[in-house]
Amino acid sequence: MGKFLDKILERFKIYRIPGYYEKYDHKWTMVIDLDRCNGCEACVVACNAENNVPVVGKEECGNKRTLNWIRIERYVEGEYPNVKVKFIPIMCQHCGKAPCETACPVYATYHNQDGLNVQVYNRCVGTFTCATYCPYDVRRFNWFTYKRDEPLNQQLNPDVTVREMGVMEKCTFCIQRIRAAKDRAKDENRSIRDGEVQPACVQSCPTGAMTFGDMNDPDSKVFKLAKSQRKYKLLEELNADPSVIYLKRVMKDGSSATHEE
Amino acid sequence: MAHQQHMKSDISYREVNEDVVRTMTKSGVGYYIALFLSIAGVVFLWWLPWAYQIYTGQGVTGLQTPVFWGIYLTNFIFWIGISHSGTLLSAILFITQTPWRRSIYRSAEAMTFFSVLTAAVFVFVHMGRPWNFYWTMPYPNQRQIWLNFQSPLMFDVFAISTYMTASMIFLYFGSIPDLAAVRDRVTGWRKELYGALSLGWRGTDAEWHWLNKAYTFFAVLIIPLAVSVHSIVSWDFALSKVPGLNKTIFAPYFVVGAIYSGSAGIVTLMVILRKTLRIEKYITTNHFDKLGMLLLVMSLLWSYINVLEVFTGWYADTSFENEALKYRMFTPPYSYMFWLMIFTNTLMPLLLIFRKLRASILISLIVSLGINVGMWIERYLIITTSLPRKFLPYMWHDYSPSLTEISMTIGSFSFFVMLFLLFIKLWPSVSIYEVKEDIGIPMKKEGH
Amino acid sequence: MLNRRDFLKLVGVGGAGAAAGFALGEKSKNPSAELIPYLVPPEDIIPGVANWYTSVCAQCSAGCGIIVRVMEGRAKKIEGNPLHPINKGKLCARGQASLQALYNPDRIKNPLKRKGERGKGEFQEITWEQGIAMLSENLSSLRNNKRETEKLYLLTSSIRGHLNSFLENFIKAYGSSNYLQYELFQHENLLLANNIAFGQDTLPYYDIENTKFLLSLGADFLNTWVSPVNYSQGYGHMRQGRPGIRGKVVQIEPRLSLTGANADEWVPIKPGTEGLLALGMAYAILEQGYYKGRDAQEWKNILNKYHPKDVAVLTEVDERRIRALAKEFAVNKPSLAIGGENVASYENGASQLIAVNILNHLAGNIGKNGGVISNPKGASLSNRRGAIKKITAFAKDASNGKIKTLILYNANPVFTTPKTMKIEDAINNIPFIVSLSGSMDESTAMADLILPTHTPLEDWGDDFAEPSVGYSIATVMQPAVSPVFNTRNAGDIFIDVAEKIGGAIKKEVPWNSFDAFLKDSWKKIYDKNKGIVIQETTFDEFWDNLLAKGWWRLPDISSLKPGHISTKGINVYLQKEPSKFDGDDKNYPFYLCLYPHSGYLDGRGANLPWLQEMPDPMTSVVWGVWVEMNPKTAQGMGIKNGDMVSVESPYGNINIPAYLYPGIRPDTVSIPIGQGHRLYGRYAADRGVNPIEILPFKVDPRSGAIPLNSTRVKITARRDAPGNMVKMEGSTREFGRKIVETVTPDEFSKMGMEG
Ligand SMILES: Nc1nc2c(c(=O)[nH]1)N[C@H]1C(S)=C(S)[C@@H](COP(=O)(O)OP(=O)(O)OC[C@H]3O[C@@H](n4cnc5c(=O)[nH]c(N)nc54)[C@H](O)[C@@H]3O)O[C@H]1N2
Ligand code: SF4
Ligand code: SF4
Ligand code: SF4
Ligand code: SF4
Ligand code: SF4
Repeated sequence: MGKFLDKILERFKIYRIPGYYEKYDHKWTMVIDLDRCNGCEACVVACNAENNVPVVGKEECGNKRTLNWIRIERYVEGEYPNVKVKFIPIMCQHCGKAPCETACPVYATYHNQDGLNVQVYNRCVGTFTCATYCPYDVRRFNWFTYKRDEPLNQQLNPDVTVREMGVMEKCTFCIQRIRAAKDRAKDENRSIRDGEVQPACVQSCPTGAMTFGDMNDPDSKVFKLAKSQRKYKLLEELNADPSVIYLKRVMKDGSSATHEE
Repeated sequence: MAHQQHMKSDISYREVNEDVVRTMTKSGVGYYIALFLSIAGVVFLWWLPWAYQIYTGQGVTGLQTPVFWGIYLTNFIFWIGISHSGTLLSAILFITQTPWRRSIYRSAEAMTFFSVLTAAVFVFVHMGRPWNFYWTMPYPNQRQIWLNFQSPLMFDVFAISTYMTASMIFLYFGSIPDLAAVRDRVTGWRKELYGALSLGWRGTDAEWHWLNKAYTFFAVLIIPLAVSVHSIVSWDFALSKVPGLNKTIFAPYFVVGAIYSGSAGIVTLMVILRKTLRIEKYITTNHFDKLGMLLLVMSLLWSYINVLEVFTGWYADTSFENEALKYRMFTPPYSYMFWLMIFTNTLMPLLLIFRKLRASILISLIVSLGINVGMWIERYLIITTSLPRKFLPYMWHDYSPSLTEISMTIGSFSFFVMLFLLFIKLWPSVSIYEVKEDIGIPMKKEGH
Repeated sequence: MLNRRDFLKLVGVGGAGAAAGFALGEKSKNPSAELIPYLVPPEDIIPGVANWYTSVCAQCSAGCGIIVRVMEGRAKKIEGNPLHPINKGKLCARGQASLQALYNPDRIKNPLKRKGERGKGEFQEITWEQGIAMLSENLSSLRNNKRETEKLYLLTSSIRGHLNSFLENFIKAYGSSNYLQYELFQHENLLLANNIAFGQDTLPYYDIENTKFLLSLGADFLNTWVSPVNYSQGYGHMRQGRPGIRGKVVQIEPRLSLTGANADEWVPIKPGTEGLLALGMAYAILEQGYYKGRDAQEWKNILNKYHPKDVAVLTEVDERRIRALAKEFAVNKPSLAIGGENVASYENGASQLIAVNILNHLAGNIGKNGGVISNPKGASLSNRRGAIKKITAFAKDASNGKIKTLILYNANPVFTTPKTMKIEDAINNIPFIVSLSGSMDESTAMADLILPTHTPLEDWGDDFAEPSVGYSIATVMQPAVSPVFNTRNAGDIFIDVAEKIGGAIKKEVPWNSFDAFLKDSWKKIYDKNKGIVIQETTFDEFWDNLLAKGWWRLPDISSLKPGHISTKGINVYLQKEPSKFDGDDKNYPFYLCLYPHSGYLDGRGANLPWLQEMPDPMTSVVWGVWVEMNPKTAQGMGIKNGDMVSVESPYGNINIPAYLYPGIRPDTVSIPIGQGHRLYGRYAADRGVNPIEILPFKVDPRSGAIPLNSTRVKITARRDAPGNMVKMEGSTREFGRKIVETVTPDEFSKMGMEG
């Protein structure tokens, strides 16, 4: 009995230690250089195409119910002619200590061994709690059953589930591409190469602002980029331990006023 | 025990019996009209819109990114809040042997049960896939779905179902002697029904002894349960990081708010029952005086916590807190609601300082109704002014409820009324035996 | 990134697979209707395993190489071809979305014949045989009976590959010389300016990647201008690809574009004076002695009218700032100045762009890495020069009844010309109009006969990108999937027609199909270069490798020019004064600045739902159009964000919601082009207005460009009309929350290589 309890406690503890996934093979990480990103939104459309993200139409856009998994936030500071514009792509940050995960009563969203915050559509009962808990507002809900006008449906990616009404969804770090790379590596009896996994957004990004890779691999590009003095994490003070690392934009006077004039 | 009488002392035991049975067997046209309207309200304002929502999707609501919670959860907390006091008050007053409890506690407990029920239905109304609701229950299954015990929603499932069960049993246990009394005075199907419900109660000493024991046990159990239920409901919000929700004060805040709104609910109910059932002699101004004091105390507590909330936000002086507060207090239409709430929940109850006004049934009704409205607004504001002002301003979007949501909200009140209307016909809504205890031994001896 | 060998292995099946898929498509024209798409599955198609086919993106004229992911005969995803030198594996949003052009539900599915009145949009489905017969009969009668072959006009979008030479051949063989190409953004002024300055009729390669100081005059090169993916890559590298070096960008434009938003400095110059600023800077450079050429004195003489003090008054840019910019530009080598669409679109656009060239020349940026590098002429087959000049002639000819038969191919002049040009009425005079088009756009709706063509993902073809990357390249287009609908290759249609007409024309077009012609043409290239730059021993091997790799470097046929701008005769081309605008400044107080929308470009992307729902980068508006106004100006007029306003030029007015945008001069308003289709499918139709409609009918006589930015307008609030603008942003203010954190350039340089 005591042994049994210890075992449970041990597992519990492992789960609770930040960065427990370091014990696993991978810790997938995205580095986004804001000094490269130009806000072009190629990543947004690329993600839509890869991940069967539905188009909702003008009215639903007005209702703020778009389903896109990644968005470019734009902040404008100052008044004419001293206008400063800043862009930042935001997708699920795959938090190490994800607030959304504690919220879900049915484990429809949980942490996997690779440091990913995964979403199991089949399990979700649609309580919205994860989405309210997520500080980054990246979770998207299937308010309706979204139809695709024939033959647009022929484009749907067979590697990605088409979600049904009533479930929550969000960026997966293109887990299907991670899986494919893992399978390929296993078939060829090797480990995954750095850069072998390229999520759709990273793949498309014209400026090369995004880099994806394994933080557990000290030779990886992300590992090196993450040493940059410009690195920071979004809303770091919330202690959610995101897996997306941003590199600060270089600009004169990029600060903003706390209060609106 | 100092024996203070709270009813007109010239009531006889027979009168009590007959009054109570009368409320159950004799119904005027007004009752049937009310019942019909409430059932129509439930079907057309709640179930049909809900069916439409289930069929079409949660998109028929006004919810959006990032305001994923709206009026449904407002109603959920509101009804859970109303459920407090009923049973909780009854239990506290029972343990402290407060005599004025006796004529009101039965309906108060019923109120608890019905409001928890209404609240529980809102959980399903709020779900994206309510047909899978049983996935939130811990039972062996092969879908590899087990519960996340870290989730406050999970605590909710347990807390609410336990609370609902406990308050149901509490209500039932306390009613057994009365059900037997009714059994002995009715005929036909009623006799059969109450015969079964009264579990063969004969009124022996042993039975009284055990009933008392069990009743005390439940009374003691229910107090921490009730406190925990609303603490847990508050954690649904407080465990998030959202400015305006992430507050350590939330558990006591919710419990105080719940008792506050629950007591106000009781007062409102008492006024209505007293008039419609013509049982003025059992529910007197004395009751309103006592409940008035309770309301006053809760009002002060509630106001204190509100001030504290604003103070901590102001003191922290982060953009997150400031914007959330600014949005709630100074941005129409929410500012109107906020200041209305302060008026009904902080200012108006100050009238109750005066004994004369406390004893006035009209004032009690106005104040308690005001508090109910104010407390509904409080819950609404907590949700709909925090979520639209989360961390990333690019995602600041406002929420307003859709017709479907408003309809279901009204429908839920119909549902509650309907249950109550059925209750007063099917259940002795004033405790016969305890009222008799209160009357003391009348001059002329008559069987009970 | 895929390594090269893996990649080649992946697409190695491409050649054979495409052929198989194509043959299959020919056999079963509508496979989507069948439960089992492949009765006899092609050997290389494994269910669940993707094939990748190389092709070329046709959403703009940049000519990026793409690879198409195909599973069981369906295209799933488009990505950049990692081996392609223009986009090196990357793609813009428009390229990503082009899949939806293939599977667009509003494509024309069968040949159509006009039923009701012309332009009413009533058509009846016919067979291909009937369609070809109709066209052949018409062309035969034109030719046989009255010998009016010159009355056949062919108007296409800009085509650069072998299809172009094919069509040239056909038209010539038929006996007409009226083959013209028209598109809204064809960089005519840029070509003219380069021709005048360098004597080169090509677009140069702007080496943004290696520059240190980039001065962009109204070029939205990160978004829509010329070759956005290539330039964006260059930009990324220029900013953070060179440890220890971070290039600086200064954007000079009246309305802050996406590129401007990313620049280090924004100079909100007075519209129409950009070229003057460039010349003022040139003056300062000469004055400071940064230019060491022997002709320095000559330049000084030529430029003495452009003293920064005078320029400052005209441009509303501070004199000190002009001098500072000039110094930075001259000192930070290599530097680069580019003049964009915004500048090219004034009535004296070419002159302004010449000023930019002069600036580059005086700072010594021509022919340098990190500067302007000229593209040698390869086997370019383009016919585009002066095309727009012809569209005006075309409109005249059409109204004068000089045109008997018009064949349109993927061209939509009704949408992309000002209303004042009355092209719709002109076209209406033509007795017989045939449209070879995949979608029912405004021009196609005027047709009597519609012969639907393939989308690029179903088609054979090739493309010769311009500008290239310092050498000429060809990109091949191969069918990634079999045709979704009953459509055909445009070349095939002409081959069938030639067959029907017979005689001399058939002799000139002897091929059975366009892909046979294409292969034949490439065989010629192969034969010519075999053993010189081609290693493959057989043509089939060469062809397979070409399809697998997706592109090929053409041997240069002209040599690189040093690119010296001579002072001789340049004087007449210099900008003398600010551009002229239609509309007086009393009645029309605002400059109107039009720009291509980042998704719809000239309107062609408006039928793709992904692009409609892509928030505009600068305003976050979706599914609509808006006019940008300075918040102060708007407030003064009582206009709030989203309110309807009327934008009125001397030539017409449109109603449009206002977006209050701090990145625009108070005297300027700005509208994106691309929305406002009347037709063009369910996603595009009836979404806002087309601002081109209110432009004057004005064409630059030298280049033929339509000046989009030479009109003034007045704005009035339309309180009667409800605003219908949907934007995705909540607040645009950051409230000190440090969401986008920044470091100053100084802090950054202290970080050193580690930064
Ligand atoms: N009449 C008739 N009977 C047959 C056959 C036949 O051809 N005709 N075929 C036979 C054969 S070959 C087979 S294999 C069986 C198949 O019979 P079953 O095994 O019963 O298969 P299904 O009914 O397709 O699916 C079972 C359930 O799984 C659920 N489900 C779907 N996805 C998931 C998931 O991710 N997790 C979980 N937990 N559940 C999920 C579905 O909702 C469904 O309710 O039937 C046999 N019986
Ligand atoms: S594609 Fe790249 S550059 Fe464009 S918005 Fe996305 S991250 Fe930024
Ligand atoms: S970003 Fe949001 S959804 Fe993603 S892991 Fe963090 S909390 Fe969860
Ligand atoms: S919406 Fe789905 S994933 Fe989110 S908490 Fe509820 S059940 Fe879990
Ligand atoms: S990682 Fe994949 S799922 Fe996530 S935003 Fe990028 S493309 Fe979308
Ligand atoms: S820039 Fe974009 S639209 Fe143009 S060719 Fe390249 S990918 Fe296509």
